[in-house]
Amino acid sequence: MSDTLLRIEDLHAGYGDFVAVDSASLEVKKGGIVALIGINGAGKTTLMNTVAGLHKPSSGKVYFKDEEITALSADRIVAKGLSLVPQGGRCFTRMSVQDNLLMGSFPKTARKNAKAMLARVYELFPDLEQMKQRPAGNLSGGQRQMVAIGRALMGSPECLIFDEISLGLSPVVINDIYRIIKRINKEENTSIILIEQDIRRALKTSDAFYVMLKGKVVLSGKSDEVDPETLKKAYFGI
Amino acid sequence: MAKRRLKGGNVRVLDSLPMLIICIALVSALYFVCLARIASNNSMRYMIQIFLYITMAEMWNLLSGFTGMTSLGQQLYIGLAGYSVAVATTKLHLTLGLGLGIGVAISVVVALVMSLLLYRMEGMYFSVATWVVAEIFEKLFLNWKYVGQGSGMTIRIVPYPRIHEICVVALTVCVFAVATVYLLLRTKVGLGLTAMRDDIGAASAVGVNVFNHKLLVYAIAAAFTAIAAGIFLVNKGIVYPESGFSISWTVSLIFIVIVGGSGTVGGPIVGSVIYVFLQEYLARFPGWSNIILGTITILTILFLPKGIVGTLQEKLGFEIFSAKRFSYAKHR
Repeated sequence: MSDTLLRIEDLHAGYGDFVAVDSASLEVKKGGIVALIGINGAGKTTLMNTVAGLHKPSSGKVYFKDEEITALSADRIVAKGLSLVPQGGRCFTRMSVQDNLLMGSFPKTARKNAKAMLARVYELFPDLEQMKQRPAGNLSGGQRQMVAIGRALMGSPECLIFDEISLGLSPVVINDIYRIIKRINKEENTSIILIEQDIRRALKTSDAFYVMLKGKVVLSGKSDEVDPETLKKAYFGI
Repeated sequence: MAKRRLKGGNVRVLDSLPMLIICIALVSALYFVCLARIASNNSMRYMIQIFLYITMAEMWNLLSGFTGMTSLGQQLYIGLAGYSVAVATTKLHLTLGLGLGIGVAISVVVALVMSLLLYRMEGMYFSVATWVVAEIFEKLFLNWKYVGQGSGMTIRIVPYPRIHEICVVALTVCVFAVATVYLLLRTKVGLGLTAMRDDIGAASAVGVNVFNHKLLVYAIAAAFTAIAAGIFLVNKGIVYPESGFSISWTVSLIFIVIVGGSGTVGGPIVGSVIYVFLQEYLARFPGWSNIILGTITILTILFLPKGIVGTLQEKLGFEIFSAKRFSYAKHR
């Protein structure tokens, strides 16, 4: 087995006639953190939703652990160990915090570990244990984001995708969440894909980066070797 | 501090032995009343209606209140079941039980075929589509000579079941329906359904097979609605297109579920009792009854959005039939 965990080859996806992702290729190494950056409408979310099985690609292939997952439904992809934390958290508002977390161990493969994982999630987010019986709809934006991360962790994923995790959160909360993301990466050896608008933070956190523009990957490389001028040009397409 | 945050819905009551005994005692008492013919024929008529409305309302509640599939077309299965029973017993001279069985089978098959179409739609589109399909079936039966076209069919069964027999069957169906909903919600499937109600996209993202869940619930709802409706129409003795496929069936179910409490297992039970008696009382004001029922529904949505049972659960802090499952048992 190679050390590549997730490989996207020449993926195309869109909505009707509109092409949102136009030939995107991407690679994530085992235990690596990849930043996916780009302006609004560049196709980042569509690309990742397609990878997670929430959106059907028009062509292209996705390999996870050297196994093709392109045509699989979302629930089977989750069961294989690839989870997505959707934009804005998206908690189950009328369920308690703990039920939200337990939803994360919904796939059969994850059920056995539910108890151990729950303890682990509460260790990472002590605040959530305090609020475990409250309906998730009563939480603040940052707390909901934590519930969503915890929920994704419950399935013991090997690869986690965070879709604009910092959207609408205060800098203090963002710092906390990034600290935990790094901890998850280190302690669980989980590969991570960050969709992010905050370029500086994304580069600081990640090992590799990809820049998307108008559905295409226009620049990629190692995060610590990036040239700011080239990045700026690729980002804005000038 | 943490204790004060504990609000309604945290204590499960049916799990406790006393509550289970009370429930069993209540059901046994109802069986006794029916079988020993203590109740008058008139009160048994009410009881039949209540039992059958509970069954249908529990199913509509399962679709809408728990799963987020607000069907406006449950009358499709009511009509299909009514006609199945009528044709089976009157034309083919089969027994009532067989007729009901055929009604359920036809309804489930239609539901499975329909779901191929309906699962592509969500929210409002789903609601309208279910209604349209029911209307199409109404027109179909309206023009079908074999089933009497517009004048419908009189149900003739020899010997015609007596009222206390119908009452026992209705009660049995009702108990099964409530038990099915309750047990279903407390399985892993129920957790998936509740998640779908809150956020279908996120449910899919954590690994819920949305299509299979929808299919299962839609088929269960069709089956129970069909059997309840079959008994209901046998009790009436006649079925015709406007009575079988009328939207007013679903409107009644909406009233029952909203007033009783959407998303609760107890809600449809309370709502059905209220509805049956209210309907009887409102019969004195012909033409006004629907306006009054509609007004009550709107007022309930405005002032008691959780319905009677939902509000009581919140105020008193317990649920008789709680859908919340393992999180409180295992990890307290």
